[in-house]
Amino acid sequence: MGTATEPRPEGIRTSASRSAAHGDLYAVLGLEPRASREQVERAYRFCLELYGEGSVATYSLLEPTEAEQQRLQVREAYEVLVDVERRRAYDEGRGLLPPDSPVLAFPVRVSAAPAAELPPVLTGADLRKIREARGMSLRHIAAVTKIGLRFLEYVEEDRFALLPAAVYLRGFLLEYARLVGIDPRRTADAYMGRLPARG
Amino acid sequence: MALSVSEVLPVAVPRTRRQIWSVGGGKGGIGKSLLAASVGWQLARMGRRVVLVDADLGGANLHTCLGLPTPERTLADFIQRRVSSIEECLTDTPAPGLRLISGAGDLLSAANIKHLQKVRVMNHVRAIDVDVVLIDLGAGTSYNILDFFLLSDVSILAVVPEPTSIENGYRFIKSALYRRLRAAAPTDEVRQLVDAALDPKNSLGIRTPVDLLARVEAEDAEAARVLRREVAGFQPRFVVNEVRDVADVGIGHQLVAACARHLGLRASYAGFVHHDDSVWQAVRRRRLFMADAPTSRAAEEIRQLTRGLVKGESLGHGY
Repeated sequence: MGTATEPRPEGIRTSASRSAAHGDLYAVLGLEPRASREQVERAYRFCLELYGEGSVATYSLLEPTEAEQQRLQVREAYEVLVDVERRRAYDEGRGLLPPDSPVLAFPVRVSAAPAAELPPVLTGADLRKIREARGMSLRHIAAVTKIGLRFLEYVEEDRFALLPAAVYLRGFLLEYARLVGIDPRRTADAYMGRLPARG
Repeated sequence: MALSVSEVLPVAVPRTRRQIWSVGGGKGGIGKSLLAASVGWQLARMGRRVVLVDADLGGANLHTCLGLPTPERTLADFIQRRVSSIEECLTDTPAPGLRLISGAGDLLSAANIKHLQKVRVMNHVRAIDVDVVLIDLGAGTSYNILDFFLLSDVSILAVVPEPTSIENGYRFIKSALYRRLRAAAPTDEVRQLVDAALDPKNSLGIRTPVDLLARVEAEDAEAARVLRREVAGFQPRFVVNEVRDVADVGIGHQLVAACARHLGLRASYAGFVHHDDSVWQAVRRRRLFMADAPTSRAAEEIRQLTRGLVKGESLGHGY
């Protein structure tokens, strides 16, 4: 019996195939971006077994061609992530921190914009502009805050119907603003003031 | 006509700290009853007041697992109103704190109990004054079984490391999830999409819950949000029974990953139980191995997985 630990909800946010379509090599292997080399190796072996020919866990879920497609994606992801240079280029392209950097390094470098500069009304597009101006990826925010990437995308796309209940949304906005380096409370107020009333 | 979960589960039932646990698995002969009996036994050892309910109405044998003769009063007596309260069907077991409601008896008709009878059973089961009601579900994916599974706080899915069992396990999960989604569907159009998804060869190309949610999302974003919440609330916990080696143990991790990646489900791996001769030796003596062979590997594994289930913990992700 193994040690009981709470598992990370691997692959929950998107299905594996959709992760690959978005080019998320970490999600293909069920990893967080800061995974160590050893974790990459272990996840690779796990995924090869998961999608291997005759795997009891997937043979009745996937057609043989789908399993082959999954194996292909797993190999491609592994080949990039196991190669130091290729992984660095990939991480940089997606605004991710290198795996050996301290977690808090990024936000510390960001200079917070004075609260007075925030407009009274903030749209998702405004938030995206502020974030991009600070060179921060949405994926990074998702990784640090543990907020689902999908929800962060909904916030920036103003997809109000898909956003969670107000109390959670407010929490998301506070976290988002803290990381981006703008006033959390004002950000939440300025964004949520635009929400249509929900029954 | 299929009845929705919300019809089956009246909202008026008061929530208490009492928990409903269930053990399902789709396939027969994979050790569901022994698992239920031994987890129930361990819960009682941990000081919980437990009632085991044998809901395998067509093939009840939980009493035999516990070393009891066929009980005088069974669930059939309650269903057929030969007794007025479900408490009258309670049978004591050798373990303090553990009682049984047997499903044994002349139950060819009870295996197909009517909707209203089912609601009555469910309401009375939920009202029993104990800490945990642990239901041993029968094999298959009938609505009766799925509804008991869906009303549970802890839904345990037993499999053995064999293709047939795992195939049935997935079928069980999909059937339960679609039943839950159908009940939650806010519009007729969405309900029709869920119905279409139930046919694996549907013309809409919906093969998995992930496909279904994508399709609903395209047509009705608000409905998709409702269904996502239902999917998130559906968290079956796998127990892999009869494992023989490390590869068998790893199957539980693979099932969790496959559920997440290809069904969009947050399942977890509660634990595994090794194939253990002392288990069937105890069965042949009509004794529960937890009592008969408490130092056996299987007994220790049951203790560990039960403690994990109580704490809401599960095994890691396997790599």
